[in-house]
Amino acid sequence: MNILVQIMHLLRKEITLEWRQKYALSGILLYVLSTVFIVYISFQNIGPQVWNVLFWVIMLFASVNAVMKSFVQESGYRQLYYFQLLHPIAILLSKMIYNSLLLLLLGGLTFVALAFIAGNPVQDAGIFALTLFLGSTGFSITFTFVSAIAAKADNSSTLMAILSFPVVIPILLLLVNLSAHSIGILGSTDIGDKTMLLGAVDLILVSMGLVLFPFLWRD
Amino acid sequence: MKYWWKILGVLILLYTFFMGLLTPLKTGISEASPLSLHAGRSETVTVVGYNSFFTKEKEKLRAWLKLPNGKALAAKRIDVVDDRVAKLTFDIPSFLPVDTKVKDFTLLIDSPVDGASVLPGGIAVTQDTVNLALGDALWPNAEISQLHEKEAITFPFRNILGETIRNTYYHVPLWMSMFIILTGGMVFSVIYLMKNDADADRKAMALSNVGLLLGILGIITGAIWARYTWGKFWSWDVKQNMTAIALLIYGAYFVLRASFEDPEKKARVGAVFNIFAYASLVPLLYIIPKLTDSLHPGAGGNIAFGSQDLDSTMRMVFYPAIIGWALIGLWVAEIILRTARLKDRLMEV
Repeated sequence: MNILVQIMHLLRKEITLEWRQKYALSGILLYVLSTVFIVYISFQNIGPQVWNVLFWVIMLFASVNAVMKSFVQESGYRQLYYFQLLHPIAILLSKMIYNSLLLLLLGGLTFVALAFIAGNPVQDAGIFALTLFLGSTGFSITFTFVSAIAAKADNSSTLMAILSFPVVIPILLLLVNLSAHSIGILGSTDIGDKTMLLGAVDLILVSMGLVLFPFLWRD
Repeated sequence: MKYWWKILGVLILLYTFFMGLLTPLKTGISEASPLSLHAGRSETVTVVGYNSFFTKEKEKLRAWLKLPNGKALAAKRIDVVDDRVAKLTFDIPSFLPVDTKVKDFTLLIDSPVDGASVLPGGIAVTQDTVNLALGDALWPNAEISQLHEKEAITFPFRNILGETIRNTYYHVPLWMSMFIILTGGMVFSVIYLMKNDADADRKAMALSNVGLLLGILGIITGAIWARYTWGKFWSWDVKQNMTAIALLIYGAYFVLRASFEDPEKKARVGAVFNIFAYASLVPLLYIIPKLTDSLHPGAGGNIAFGSQDLDSTMRMVFYPAIIGWALIGLWVAEIILRTARLKDRLMEV
């Protein structure tokens, strides 16, 4: 079985699993909704700049919570089973792809909820969608890999935050910057540059992940 | 001589301390008033010199107001008040050889004792009407020739920087040696993953420890420098923020290591995260600050410091300082490594 086929199988397994035990998915969705609601109650009047920052902060915390379980939830026996059957790269990539899809959905939901409650300041929908796409990939890559590291330790939820937040800050900074362009509070001068840079950072992190995961994996 | 490199490190650092702190600065112009003159008048500028000796050979003191293209106006009269203060009188023609109403001129003073000193673009001259042809005709185009060089070992004088230019031998080499040491730590993590040798992991841990220490020292010296040049210890500049985050990443590395009981697992997961952390350091410290506005040289479109201000005397101290700090860092790392080895042996017993 080559890696691509393995990835497809694993992806299907992840999606079926998620669909069968809906509590995890609905838990995350409820998390986003209640966060947006709390934010709205506390702020009342949300300007474009605050909207932009709030959107990404909500995304950040929801993403950590959504991605954290990806390696932590797998039991030791199942890991052993995978180890004999599959290529480690297939496992990591399938989780990363699945998580980016999940985060894209999460981002869309956050956007809808925030736009419904606090208005929609986005002027250039294309750039915003691109930012959302790059953001969910970047978050998914970082958090998936860090959750693989954190799952090896006992107090994984604390470690998850300590390890991933510093690493994710450059991505977050670029995302806030890019989406500020789409909202129109920053002049659109170097969108291409920043998009390229974000892509490059994503690429560096994913290649580091692919090189290092096989070492992390064997127990 | 097994310990030659430790002795070398100490000697180099002593040399940088002596040379870096005791060498005087070149003569400079620290103040001039008024900074704004008017064309068509005889204006007197009071100049305050830095490390200057105006009273020695004061007859040979010369001064000019200079345009970037070299066209200059010589001072008509120079009254020396004392070693630090001189009054320069310029007869400015009614029309300037420029096509704007206000133009910044560079003030240049030359003395046989102190050498030439400049106040770059510091004096603004205003004219009532712009007339390029008349301005060219009236402008005397004084010749600037036979400028003197101060014959002593000195560091350059830069306005704003002043004496803090000496921090170039502490702040910058600390950063560079931090990078050298952290790179070493990353290499040992790679070696650990390839060979599974417990000592390689200890080396990586020791080097990262020292790297973090050098980084903290670098950020402190940077903050002190920022206090005297930017006005505040911490001005939330992007370079400062990213550096703080980079240090947080390495802090996380040690928290991660501490959370494992099993030494093999600790070494392996630690090595993986160390390589990952090193890879995320480059965008943090070098790519992001270049994109946003920053006060730091070499970031946010600013030119790097070395390209213009590092002269040959400074290089004589600057490059050895990098090697010196790296050697001292290695020494500290060696001590940490030996302690870690002993602790591990104690665990086995």
